[in-house]
Amino acid sequence: MATNVSEVQSKAAACRWRPKAFNIVIAIIVVVLVPIALSTNRFLTIDNAQAILSSAALIGITAVGATLIMIVGSAVSLATAQTAAAAAMVFLATQSLGLGVALLLGLLCGVVVTAVQGVAVGYLEADPIVLTIAANFAIIGIMVLLSGGTPVSASGDAYAVLNQTVLGLPLAVYVLLVLAVATELMLRRTTVGRQMYMVGENRRAARAAGLPVGRVTVVAWVFFGVCTAITGIFMAAFNTRATVFLAGTLTFDTIAAVLVGGTVIAGGRGSVLSTFGGVVLIATIDNLLLLRGYPTGIRTLVQGVIVLIVVVLVHLRLGRAV
Amino acid sequence: MINSMLSRPERITPLVVLALALIAFLCTPLLTGTSLAVYDVYNTLQSFALYGLLALAIGLSMMGGEFDISVVGTYALGGMVAVQLGESYPVFGVFAAVGCGIGIGAMQGGLIAGLRIPSLPVTLATYIALQGLTYAISGGLSVTYSNFDVTLWVNQVVAGIFTPRSLITVSAFLIAALALGCTQLGPQLRAIGGDRRASRVAGIRVERGLLALFMATGALAALGGALIGYSLASADPNPGLQPLLIAIIAALLGGTALTGGRGAPIGLLAGALAVALLAQIGRTASLPTYWTQLSYAVLLAVVVAIDSRGLHRGIDRLRARGRTALWRSIR
Repeated sequence: MATNVSEVQSKAAACRWRPKAFNIVIAIIVVVLVPIALSTNRFLTIDNAQAILSSAALIGITAVGATLIMIVGSAVSLATAQTAAAAAMVFLATQSLGLGVALLLGLLCGVVVTAVQGVAVGYLEADPIVLTIAANFAIIGIMVLLSGGTPVSASGDAYAVLNQTVLGLPLAVYVLLVLAVATELMLRRTTVGRQMYMVGENRRAARAAGLPVGRVTVVAWVFFGVCTAITGIFMAAFNTRATVFLAGTLTFDTIAAVLVGGTVIAGGRGSVLSTFGGVVLIATIDNLLLLRGYPTGIRTLVQGVIVLIVVVLVHLRLGRAV
Repeated sequence: MINSMLSRPERITPLVVLALALIAFLCTPLLTGTSLAVYDVYNTLQSFALYGLLALAIGLSMMGGEFDISVVGTYALGGMVAVQLGESYPVFGVFAAVGCGIGIGAMQGGLIAGLRIPSLPVTLATYIALQGLTYAISGGLSVTYSNFDVTLWVNQVVAGIFTPRSLITVSAFLIAALALGCTQLGPQLRAIGGDRRASRVAGIRVERGLLALFMATGALAALGGALIGYSLASADPNPGLQPLLIAIIAALLGGTALTGGRGAPIGLLAGALAVALLAQIGRTASLPTYWTQLSYAVLLAVVVAIDSRGLHRGIDRLRARGRTALWRSIR
C-alpha cells in the first residue's frame, strides 16, 4: 500500500512536470541552428523552405499516426514501411477502377492491416514489437505472393493528380498540415483522444476505471493505418510503380521523428504538433547539412545523434520515472 | 515432471521448435524427391553462423530486460572496420571491430543504466547514427576484403559439415552458456531482467550489470560482423533490418521474451538453429522466398499468442463459464 501511495505521488509530480518537449526543441534550434543557418548560403530562401517542407511531408504524415500508437502505449510498429508499401501496391493495382475507388481501396488496405494488429494489441494484449515483426514478414510474404515478385505499375496516369503542387508546395504538405491539426484537436478535445492518454499512462488503471481499453487502442491503430496508407499512396504516385520495398527506411525515420517530437516510448504523453516540430527539425538539419555539402553518411549520423540527445533530454526533464 | 516443464515455457519452447524444425528438415526429401546431402547440413550451419552471434547478442539483452536494436548497426560497423583495418593483420581487424562494439555498448549501457532510460529509443538512435557512420567510412559502397587466405581459412570445411565460421559461432554460444550457467551471472542477469527493483533490493549491482550486458552485446555483434565480413570477403554498409528481425525471431523461439528475465544461451542456440533450418528447407526444396517469410510470420504469431495475457484471460473465462454450466447441470 505504501508503495502505491508513493507511486501516486511520483505520478502527480510527473504531471506537474509536463513534458515541455517543444521548448527543448526550440532551445536546440536557437542555440545551435540559428548561427549555422544564418551563415549558410541559400538557406533562408522561400525555395528552400518549400524544399524542407516537401521532404518532411511523407515521413510527417506517417509520424502523425505513429504518435498516436506511441501515446496509447503500443510503443512502435516495426512494419510501417511494409504497410505503406502494401497500400501503395493496392492503390496502383486498382487504378483501372478509377482514382477514387483506388484511393479508397489503398486506404482500406492500410486500415485492415493495422486494425488486425490493433485488435491483437488492444484486446489480446499482444506484445506490439513481436507482433509487428510478424506483420512485417506476413505483409512481405503475402504481397510477394500476390504480385509474383514483380513491381506493380498502374494502367493510366490518373494518379498523377497527387503529384501536383499548389502554391509551390506538393499536395502532401497540405495533407500533413490538415492531418496534424485535426489529430491534435482529436487528441485534446474528444473523449477518445483523452482516453488514449489514460490508456497509455496506465493500462490497468484505465481498465479498472471502466475505459474501453481495447476500443481506444484499435482507434489509434486504425488512425495509424490511414496515415501510413496515405504516405504509401503518395509514394506510389511519385514512383509510378511499387514493390514491397518501396518505402525503404520509413519505419525508423518515422520513429525517429516521433521521438524527436518528445513523445515518450512508454506512452501516455506526447502531442502531434510536437511530432510535426520533430519532423521539421530533422528535415531542416538535414537540409542544412546538404547545403553545406556533407555526404549522406554524415547526415544520417547527425540524425541519429539528434534523436539520442532529444531522448536523453526529454527523459531528464520528466525526472527519473520508474 | 511434465507439469514442471510446462510451467517453464522458456525450457520447452526451444526444444519443441528445434525438434519440429529438424523433423521438417528431415522430411524435405518428400518435397524434392532427392535425399538430403551432407552439403545441406553444411549449408544450414553456414546460414546459422550468418546471424548466430547477432541472435546471441539480442537474446542476452532480452534476458536482461532490455532491447538492443543497435546490435545490427554494430554488426555492420564491425564488418566494415574489420575488413578495412584487417587487410594485412586480420586479428588486429577483429580486435578493432570488437573494441568499437565494446565502446558503443559502454556508451549506451552508461546512458541506459545511469539515467534509467528505456533502451528502445536509445538503441534506435544509436542504430541510426551507426548506420550513418558505417556509410560515411565506406562511402556507401560495399568494401571488398582482398586477403583471400583469411577468407579461405574462415570457410574451410572441418569434419564435413563445420567451418571455422560456424565453429566460432557455436563456441560463442557454449562459452556464454558456461559463463551464465556455472556462475552467478546467469541468475543475476535473469533477476535484472525479471524484476529490477527486487534485484536492487537483493543487492545485485544492477547498473554495473547493465553496463556489462551492453558491452557484451556490442562485442558479440561486432565479432559477428567481422566474422561474416572475412567469410564473404566483403562488408555491406547497409544490411538493412532483415538481420535484426531474423535474430529477434531466433531469440524469441529460443525462449526469451521482451518482458525479460527468461531464457538461456542454449535455448538461444536452439532457436538460431531452428531459424537456419527453416531457411534451408526453403532453399533445398527451392520454395519461393515468400514461403520462408510466411513461416516466420506464423511462428511469431504463435509466440505472440503464447505470451498474450488477454488471450489467457479469455481462455480462463471460457473455462470458468464451462465449469459453472457443468455445476448447474449437476444441480
